[in-house]
Order: sequence, then structure tokens, then C-alpha cells
Amino acid sequence: MSARPITTVKTVVTGIEEAGAGIKLFMLADPDRWELPPFKPGAHIDLHLPNGLVRTYSLCNEPADNTRYVIAVKREADGRGGSRALHDEIGIGDVIGVSLPRGGLEPEARIARYVFLAGGIGVTPFLSMARHLERTKQADFTLHLIVREEVPLATHLGALVEEGRIIVHRTSRTGRPDLAALVGEGGSETMVACCGPESMTHDFERVTAAWPAASVHIERFIAPPPVIDPDAKPFTLSLARSGAEIEVRAGQTMLAALQEGGIDIATSCCGGICGACKVGWIEGKPVHRDRILSPYERERYLMVCVAGSDAERLVLDL
Amino acid sequence: MLDTISAGAAQDAAQLGWTGVVRFLHLTPRAFLPMRAAETITLVAGKGIEGDRYMIGKEEGFYSHKPEEGRQVTLFELETLVALKRDAGIELGPEEHRRNVTVEGVPLNHLVGRRFWLGETLLEATRLSVPCRHIEEITGKAIFDPLINRSGLNCKILQGGIVRVGDTVRNAA
Repeated sequence: MSARPITTVKTVVTGIEEAGAGIKLFMLADPDRWELPPFKPGAHIDLHLPNGLVRTYSLCNEPADNTRYVIAVKREADGRGGSRALHDEIGIGDVIGVSLPRGGLEPEARIARYVFLAGGIGVTPFLSMARHLERTKQADFTLHLIVREEVPLATHLGALVEEGRIIVHRTSRTGRPDLAALVGEGGSETMVACCGPESMTHDFERVTAAWPAASVHIERFIAPPPVIDPDAKPFTLSLARSGAEIEVRAGQTMLAALQEGGIDIATSCCGGICGACKVGWIEGKPVHRDRILSPYERERYLMVCVAGSDAERLVLDL
Repeated sequence: MLDTISAGAAQDAAQLGWTGVVRFLHLTPRAFLPMRAAETITLVAGKGIEGDRYMIGKEEGFYSHKPEEGRQVTLFELETLVALKRDAGIELGPEEHRRNVTVEGVPLNHLVGRRFWLGETLLEATRLSVPCRHIEEITGKAIFDPLINRSGLNCKILQGGIVRVGDTVRNAA
């Protein structure tokens, strides 16, 4: 039994492969080789590194390969430290907690052709998609890989390059390609997707601005933006007993804000029905969204997992 | 008056009113991992299911930081999966609700505080399960609301043994 909730999928490093150009592949698996949580082609996961850093990497294996997560990590000497930690400190057998996979592209029956645009190491999510499409023969695809000179993961991409499925554009020789020409005219049966540096995704957004949104996908290494109620406002929690002040962002739950502030709150359902996170309130205008407190109880208590505040400040009995 | 169910003849009649069957068995060794179907599972009295995340002493489940004696084995009604599809248009597989035993013909909500036989094992129901947002995160399906009041049953194991798909579930008089 652990004292704190388990918030990540436990994996162990089962293999590390040098892939050239400063890139290493890391194979992560469950300690018992159990199936891992499923993912869409091209999805990404957060790695919670032993040194406390949290970094996001695309999965480059395909969903059918369901007992491991394979990530490709380029060592960035001047980066923020995640890739250096992985390259220099992580070895086979090390335990790494990872998030549930996010993002990726669910192949749709209506799509007959995919055009992928990748910048450098941004090829990793499309490697997953390419493997998936190669095996399932579900749709045709072309991957335009834009690099300065060296092709990342060359040994893994070689066969696809030879088959003409991957077209390499070396900017050191031919300059930056015209993205509009690469994505072409489009149509309802074509899906275009991009992963690369921000300047590239900006250009991609510009050239696909007139396309239907359902035919354009950008793989970004960030969590999808939360859907925030446009009327939601930030507020401050004052904790009467500890004297702490905690800011709750617009759309954030009190529970999340309290946990970020290091306050230990009992929780269970996180949906306002179980009562585990009941907290007394002293002053303010709470907005109750639970489904269990009576009107009488609501004058004294709230459920921090779902409650909000109609005033800028809410005083809790914590 | 409402603190307990009727005693005597009425209780006997209520207990004789059902016999159910084990339809699916699932377990997983750790939080977040997919549930894997099994033809048999081994229940250990007072502990849990061999190889499952809530086996006491080896806990690696999402709720393992909150010890609970009654979480040794959890049950779910097949009828709820049918109702989800019929009433809410949501297809939820027996591997997705994350309880261990999917039963048919067993009125789980009536069994809190009672003992019953699951195949050769004897269970005591401790409380109804409640849905949690965690399951929506894992399945990506909006099932929190439709599962309120029919999210299964938590039980402790009084007598262990092997449970098989197809086993009978019946009240312990």
C-alpha cells in the first residue's frame, strides 16, 4: 500500500537503442509485460523522470504493439534537461511513471489518403501512424520529412524512404519546401497532419486555413486545452486554519488547486456524489454542484471536487 | 423502520428470489492497466484475488492509498451494461467497468450487508461501489452519470477458492 494515490502508469525500461544523430530509442513496458493502456497512432505520453522532470514524447510504435511504449529521444545539450537525463542517467531496469497516452489520430474510414508533414524529430508520431497504415492497408499515405541535413531514425525510416512513402526534403540543399504545394488541394477523403517546430506548424495552419477542420490535424506535445466555461472566473481560497491563500484558476477545480498547493484532501469519485472531499466553508458564496448535500448542509459544507465560487474569495475551514 | 430489511418469512422469500451466474472475470495487476479476461480467478480469504491490484499486501490500485477491507473483490451487473447501451447508447464492455466479476441475474444493490456464494467462494458485501471520474479518464466514455447507483458491489472474501466463468451465484442463507 502506498500513502499517496498512484497517478502514473508504472513502466520499466526494457531496452535502449542508439538510433544515430544523437537519438536513442527507449522501450518501456509493464514490470510483468501486461498490456499497457491503449493509444491512437501517433499519440504521446508524459514521462515522470526520476529527477522530478516531466517530459512529453511521441510513441513511435503502433497501437497493435500493445505491451510496450517506444519513444525516440534526441539529446538536446542545451535543452531543459529532460533529454539529457534520459540519455545520461536512465538505464535498463529503471522504473519510469508515465501518463495515459493522449492525442494521436484515430484512422477514419472516410479517409483514403494521409499527407503527413514532419519537421526533424517531429517524425516520431508519424512513424507510429505509418506503421499502423502499412500493416492495416487502411489508407494511402505520404510523409514529407523536412530536415536540415541528417535524417533522424534513418535505419527505421529507410525502407519507407526507398518505397517512396517518405520524401525527404533537406533544407541545407533545397531550402524550405513550399508547404502549400506539399499538402496539395485536399478534399474530403484526404487528411493532412503536421508535427514539427512552432514555425512549421504556424505555416501549416496558414496553408490549411481554408480546409475543413476535420481534415487537418496538428500533433502538439501538450495536453489538450481544457474546455473552460466562458463564465468561469478565477478566485482565491483562504484557508482559515492554516492561513494559506490558494489561487484557483478559471475552470480549475478547488480540489486541483488545493492539491497543487500541497493540501492533502481525501477524494474518491471526483464527481460530487461520494462525499469523500466534504470541506466546511466559513465565508463567501460557494456554487454547489454536488448531488448529495442537503440545503442545510450546503450552508456549512461544500464538495471541493465540483464546487465553485461566485465571489472572489472563499474561506474554507482547512 | 428503514434501518434493516424484514426478518423471518419475508427475508427468506427475498433471499430465495434469485440465482445468478458468473459471465465474465477480469483482473489487472496495476492501476491504469487494461483489465484482462480470465476463465478462472483465485480468491484468497481476507485478502483479494491472486494477481489483482487490490490484493491486500500487494496493493497497486488507483485507490490503494485508501485501504478498504471490502475491496477484495468487486462485482458488476451484466444488466447494467445492457441498460447503458439501451438507454444511453453507450457500449461498455465487461473489461471496461474495472470490476472483477460480471454477473447476470444477481441483484447486487440488494446485497449490501449480506453473504452470498460466488461459485465455491463465500463473500460478504460491504458497500455499493460508486462511479469515479477515473474510469472516464481511462475509457474516454462519459459513463459517470449513467453509472450512479448501479456501479457494482464491493465485497470481502470469507471463504476463498476458484471462481470460474459459468459458476452459480446464490444467496447464503
